[in-house]
Amino acid sequence: MEMETNGILPGRTKGKATLRVRSLAPYSAEFTSGQIGVIADIAEQYGSGQAHVTARQTIEIADVENSTIPEVAALLNNIGLFVGSSGSFLRNVMACSRWCLYNVRPVSDLAQKLNKLHADRQLPGKTLISLSGCSFSCTRSRTSDIGVIARSNIALTDHPCIHCTLCVREPLGCQVEAITLTETGPEIDAQRCIHCGFCTTICKPATIGLNGTSFDILIGGSGGITPRAGVFWKNVPTEEAVVEEVDSLLTRYAAVAEHGERIGAVLARSGAGCLEEVGHG
Amino acid sequence: MDEKAVGFTLEMPKVGIIRGVKAKDIEMVGGKVVNLRTCARPYENIYTVTQLRAIQGVSKKYGSGKVHLSPRHNMEIPEIKNKHIDEALRDLYVAGLFPGGAGTSVRNVFTCPDWCARSVRPVQAIGKMVSTNFGDRDMPNKFTISFAGCPNGCSRPHNTDVGIIAVAKVTIADQGCPDGCRECAKVCPVQAVGPTEGRVKINRPACIACGRCVKACPEKILRSEETGFKVLIGGKEGATVAFGAVIAEFAKDFELLEIIESVLRKYEQKVTPRLAGRKKKERMSEVIERLGIAAFLAD
Repeated sequence: MEMETNGILPGRTKGKATLRVRSLAPYSAEFTSGQIGVIADIAEQYGSGQAHVTARQTIEIADVENSTIPEVAALLNNIGLFVGSSGSFLRNVMACSRWCLYNVRPVSDLAQKLNKLHADRQLPGKTLISLSGCSFSCTRSRTSDIGVIARSNIALTDHPCIHCTLCVREPLGCQVEAITLTETGPEIDAQRCIHCGFCTTICKPATIGLNGTSFDILIGGSGGITPRAGVFWKNVPTEEAVVEEVDSLLTRYAAVAEHGERIGAVLARSGAGCLEEVGHG
Repeated sequence: MDEKAVGFTLEMPKVGIIRGVKAKDIEMVGGKVVNLRTCARPYENIYTVTQLRAIQGVSKKYGSGKVHLSPRHNMEIPEIKNKHIDEALRDLYVAGLFPGGAGTSVRNVFTCPDWCARSVRPVQAIGKMVSTNFGDRDMPNKFTISFAGCPNGCSRPHNTDVGIIAVAKVTIADQGCPDGCRECAKVCPVQAVGPTEGRVKINRPACIACGRCVKACPEKILRSEETGFKVLIGGKEGATVAFGAVIAEFAKDFELLEIIESVLRKYEQKVTPRLAGRKKKERMSEVIERLGIAAFLAD
């Protein structure tokens, strides 16, 4: 069996491999039409004409001859695509689309920052970072090693409610039905609220106000053989703080984990304390 | 949310045509925009060269030259003007692509590719069969089905409404294992197999039936003559996370359709609105949480 190097996966036929292609420019979760065209050309010319869209926003090109891999890699690099995102590395950072209606804030730029800093960084085990623009977490932030979820800081203000009922009525009303309208105004059930901030955009008198946005960081989730849900780690206010926090988490994880151990396993073994930045206790 | 939603009335089928918003760095010249979510249908996880070129063309011609990969192997083409929707759909249609995989229906059936070296058995064909039968069926809420070719579960079968994982029935030949090369023990992800006293032993409760030891065994002492599917129901991910409960340990291909059909029916029967008097219905995970798995499966 051939050795598995980063992004080059052993294929079903001997002498051929599957290439996993990730985009580093312009966005990690987004391909341009030109890039799609080049992938089509490569699949036709070098592969078997098949491309698979993976669960982590990469495209796999099947059955590429081993001898042509450097050639293909060069073609891909020209247009901002890279072969990678497999093995014990930091995998492709997932981000949801910039144009989604539910976005609290777009996270693609943050994904780019993280990708540029840490793309294919070698770590003790497979490490997934997923960014979600809202709590619905389409990118599966809650079962990734590090999940970052944008949230709105929703605050009730003194502005009097005009009882328009928009916030509780379909189709624009609260998706998780956390709002109840009383005589005095809206009340938010903190247990149900997922901080998507949609109510703040439709509330005309701003009774439900928006006090900026922030990011929730969750760690230790995983799917696969031992499915785990991520646990809450920290809430940070800005993108820069997320970048800093992720960097410190990865560094600490690389220092304390045994070979092959994922963040979830480290947490299960020695608790969250060991991932705290040194100096904070 | 700084962007303003662009409202409009749809005349086309709504599934897969998603209301768009104007992103900050995107120049728009008036008009209305929608996002088009496409996928090959009858659903497949493979895009052919023709299909990729069609997506490229539509994105360039009618969209803004962008394509987003969704986590359920759809490709989304954003910012198509409303007046171009019909032309865009026609261009995709001739390549065998359809909009879909959105709304309260059975979403795109997710399967992993057959060419993966780890897969216990190919699942593309059976995934296609399941999606031909259940794809886009109207449901009370979003409903996802995922196939995984091995317990590694890249397609996240634990966090979908119906997760189906291919498993191998590993048997040990009688000949014993005098050499004890430990290749099986090296590849086992859960340390459940290894040679002891001249024989290979499997710790059955710990074994996850991924069949990696079978591929690694040079003497063919470990064998897998039969493969089947483990079926989990009631997983979800989103605002909350739920992991699926196992309802079948070793289902055969022909049983799958029956199992999925019965699960879909039970869900349709037992679902209630999330809050009394409101329209929004529960996801299957919430029904199972409320009733318990036994009561959910009971008639």
